[in-house]
Amino acid sequence: MKVFSSTCNFDYSWDEVSTANWRKYCPWNDKATHVVGVDTLSRTIDPETGILRTERLITCNQSVPQWVSSLFGGNAVSHVYEISYVDPAAKKVTMCSTNLTWSNVLNVRETVVYQPSSLAPTTSTEFTQEAKITALCGGWQKIKNKVEEASVERFRENAKRGREGFETVLEMSRRVFGEQRDLENQRLQS
Amino acid sequence: MAASIAPECNDIKDQETLATKMKLPRKYDTCFLKWYSEKYLRGNTSSNDCEELFKKYKTCLNKSLKEKGIDTMLDDARKSSSETDSEFLKKS
Repeated sequence: MKVFSSTCNFDYSWDEVSTANWRKYCPWNDKATHVVGVDTLSRTIDPETGILRTERLITCNQSVPQWVSSLFGGNAVSHVYEISYVDPAAKKVTMCSTNLTWSNVLNVRETVVYQPSSLAPTTSTEFTQEAKITALCGGWQKIKNKVEEASVERFRENAKRGREGFETVLEMSRRVFGEQRDLENQRLQS
Repeated sequence: MAASIAPECNDIKDQETLATKMKLPRKYDTCFLKWYSEKYLRGNTSSNDCEELFKKYKTCLNKSLKEKGIDTMLDDARKSSSETDSEFLKKS
């Protein structure tokens, strides 16, 4: 198993980040064009804690290294299963996702957490990401290592793109919410 | 909002959907986002404004998942979801 982790801050409040997070893969995000579908499978609220639990299916047009796809075959579409938990009292979003496609070859478990950052909790949100990658294919350890290393490398590249894409979504969300507010205020005044 | 992988859900003859010319999955997502930002985050966690829309969307989606064979993949993945549930559904 190999682990990839990263952390960064977004200069937006936790409310804004946790809202925009639901449209992370919308057309505003030009860095996530590989995501072709986001479907909500279930959504429940725990009556005791108020925690919102959501299951989603993320569908991607995968772009794996050529040698991987020639080794294992497979088609161009891959699916990811994601469970997320929003704890409004603690202001914490946790998202756990795992790959459905090729799951007999490679297991990728990612956990992402959004929380108010400790230094500026009202205006900034901390993002932490951890991925555990395990190659399951039988056979040589050498091959397993190579598969895991390549996967971690891709995670690293994608993490940067993911951050940039989400920044765009946050910016657009703030603008659109601002415009909506202005419109409503105008309507109230007239 | 991203698209659904079940394009056929877009064609559901839903009165409201036709009226606003918005496709069902998108309409549900829009409803949810409004509820999330205006009610849920402000402490109103018991309301369920989008339940009706979600029911229609889910019926259609489940059919599509079955046809594509994704439902069995999901069943496997769900087996380990009790671990994360017990960790993240508890009171903090």
